[in-house]
Amino acid sequence: MNGRTYEEVATGEELPPLPIPLTRTLIVATAIASRDYQDVHHDPGLAVERGSTDIFMNILTTNGLVDRYVTEWAGPAAVVTAIRIRLGVPNYPGDTMTLTGTVTAKHDEDRRVEIAVRGENGLGAHVTGTVAVRLPAKDAT
Amino acid sequence: MTSYEDFAGREILPLWEGPDPVNVPMIRHWAEAMGDRNPIYRDDAAARATGRPGIVAPASMMQAWTMRGYAATVEGPDAGARAGAAAGARELDGLLEKDGYTSVVATDSEFEFHRELVAGDRVSVREVVESISPEKSTALGTGRFVTTVRTYTDQDGEVVAVQRWRLLRFRPKEARAPRPRPAVNRDNAFWFEAAREHRLVIQRCAGCGTLRHPPGPCCPHCGSFDWDAAEASGRGQVYSFVVNHHPRHPAFEYPLIVAVVELDEGTRLVTNLVGVEPGEVEIGMPVVLDWLDADPDLSLPVFRPQSGIAA
Amino acid sequence: MSGFSGAAAIAGIGATEFSKDSGRSELRLACEAVLAAVADAGLKPSDVDGMVTFTADTNAEIHVARSTGMRDLTFFSRIPHGGGAACGTVQQAALAVATGVADVVVCYRAFNERSGVRYGLGQADGPAETGADSAAYAWLTPFGLSTPAQWVAMFARRYMHEYGATSEDFGRVAVVDRRHAATNPAAWFYRRPITLEDHQASRWIAEPLHLLDCCQETDGGQALVVVSAERARDLPHPPAVVLGAAQGSGDDQHMMTSYYRPRITGIPEMGLVGRQLYAQSGLGPADMDAAILYDHFTPLVLPQLEELGFCAPGEAKDFVAEGNLELGGRLPFNTHGGQLGEAYLHGMNGIAEAVRLVRGTSVNQPEGVRNVIVTAGTGVPTSGLVLGADR
Ligand SMILES: [Zn+2]
Repeated sequence: MNGRTYEEVATGEELPPLPIPLTRTLIVATAIASRDYQDVHHDPGLAVERGSTDIFMNILTTNGLVDRYVTEWAGPAAVVTAIRIRLGVPNYPGDTMTLTGTVTAKHDEDRRVEIAVRGENGLGAHVTGTVAVRLPAKDAT
Repeated sequence: MTSYEDFAGREILPLWEGPDPVNVPMIRHWAEAMGDRNPIYRDDAAARATGRPGIVAPASMMQAWTMRGYAATVEGPDAGARAGAAAGARELDGLLEKDGYTSVVATDSEFEFHRELVAGDRVSVREVVESISPEKSTALGTGRFVTTVRTYTDQDGEVVAVQRWRLLRFRPKEARAPRPRPAVNRDNAFWFEAAREHRLVIQRCAGCGTLRHPPGPCCPHCGSFDWDAAEASGRGQVYSFVVNHHPRHPAFEYPLIVAVVELDEGTRLVTNLVGVEPGEVEIGMPVVLDWLDADPDLSLPVFRPQSGIAA
Repeated sequence: MSGFSGAAAIAGIGATEFSKDSGRSELRLACEAVLAAVADAGLKPSDVDGMVTFTADTNAEIHVARSTGMRDLTFFSRIPHGGGAACGTVQQAALAVATGVADVVVCYRAFNERSGVRYGLGQADGPAETGADSAAYAWLTPFGLSTPAQWVAMFARRYMHEYGATSEDFGRVAVVDRRHAATNPAAWFYRRPITLEDHQASRWIAEPLHLLDCCQETDGGQALVVVSAERARDLPHPPAVVLGAAQGSGDDQHMMTSYYRPRITGIPEMGLVGRQLYAQSGLGPADMDAAILYDHFTPLVLPQLEELGFCAPGEAKDFVAEGNLELGGRLPFNTHGGQLGEAYLHGMNGIAEAVRLVRGTSVNQPEGVRNVIVTAGTGVPTSGLVLGADR
């Protein structure tokens, strides 16, 4: 598995988009894997009763998917130092969320790179945020 | 009487240790569900190749180590290890409940990670209120943003991560019925399709250039069946208006302002006025286009008073 | 056949291609066929003043007229019962032409019966209605403009703005109606008159309309029998002779929402009806001894007085305030209480009251009534009558 070194990355670089089909199974499986048993993430009847149109993805999963998106691009040597997200419209089953990202800053002192991330579904922006990763130096690999 | 302001700095969750130590099976389940194929979460050798001591947990999994899981739903929020320790939380919940903020949704999570977790780590969390916003009107309903700081520590009391965590505690909006559906057919579909892209268009005769709205299949002036659509400037003025009170349709909030707006291009259309009180509307008032995304299939042009115009 | 035999002829024909999937709206097909027929006759759309179609047709006359550039219509009629209507449309047109109520009548029928609603599949689970009448509502109901009171209020607001009329000017119409209903035992609001203060204090329905600007809603029925004047003379009651009977649909006519005309303070289709009534009867506004004017909502009574020549545009508010509509006034109005006071029966009860006025049997009978003008609905293609005592 190849990774990126700090030197290879330039501010303004765009990450390849990642479409994620939002199946009902994904929403339930990720909620359970994050130990979130709230009914709005697995019980359609109760979700509707609480004013939602269907079950929807939990925020821990959004964190997990944003984490995966950036580290898939950065490679296994990257160390995640920050994930800051804001949620917009919900991720409902049947939709697709497409993640996109752009390198917005580089910090030479600790080889830290900041990536602005955005996840859009059919309703609009589900997530906007920033992920910071520390990348290996060129000669360290 | 406690007020929301008094909660800044108060602890609502005393230090509490998660039920399981960091462990490889739970990491693997997480990575599998997330579709995360990073080898450092499942392969000791691959993790060591990156300079790590062995398999690590995904950074984003931090909060999951301190989730009460299914137990929370069967024992209630204050049972078990938290019993008797979460007085601040109960007091805050009581205050929020009294104001009708019965619903909750997470809106922000800002994690700073101090180190990666490895198998055997024991994660504890403590939560302190940072601020509670004044009442805000949101798309979901009226409520307050409760911002807390959750500090995650390890078995040695060292901080492993800090999370700023924001929940909206709110009164759900009265469920609104969808707006009445327009009958879309071959003569008007272009207009509603443009509206979905937030473009206000006016049908234009390809024969003589006359603009017409509402649109129709042929030109009353020259008889041409050919037409295209011109983009409207989005500026106009109120030609007449109505303030609806009765009967009430469940899709709308009342009083409801419906206006005939005359566009700068000369055609008129029926629309709603927003950002203005019924008593402030006047015939001749300059207005500008705005968009209402009534629901995923239907966007409608609405108008608001042109800013910078003295009343 | 007698009477109009030989008085009318078919002068033009036109059609679209015939296919299994036209790819166009039914309204467009109607427009194409109508324009072709008019051209074949060597005429212009603006020469057409009459239209006949099937009740089953989705293309209302006003949509076809507006789209093809027709202007004033003095005759429009529909025949029921599906395909049985076909020759009937020509009979209607011939009657209209023979009697002079129209000069050029177009008969039409257009549909996507194969690619759209297939009669052969039965009525269950049909696709959503997307004909021209339904599509017309697409410009209104998504914005919450969906009731007659709301549609009328839009005209009323503009009328107030241009002519300086007030809510009280509308209220005076309601007060007269309710005063007349108060002495009519058949009226819903018998013995329940209102004051202008009551009107002003009544709750908003659709500003600028108060509750008391709006007619009631009624269950009921009303029928009329029409025979020849000659025969009527042998029957028990004094005849109410039809001195004039006219229809009108105006330029750029919509259904209750003709907001796109250069000005919206008048009711052009009512002016068209009035001019025909006076021409047919040889009478004028000064000859009318009473008026039964359509009053589902008070504001549109004012422009009716203007369109029918009882006062100049913008002056109806003064005409009403001066007491002209009272029993002892210049033009006793809605002596039964109107639709605001007696009953809302789509204007048919007003025709009956006009008959009683001519007979001299109204519960609020003014002195010396010979000629009465009656109008039908406002905001829509409309009609009117002048009924008179036997001469
Ligand atoms: Zn043209």
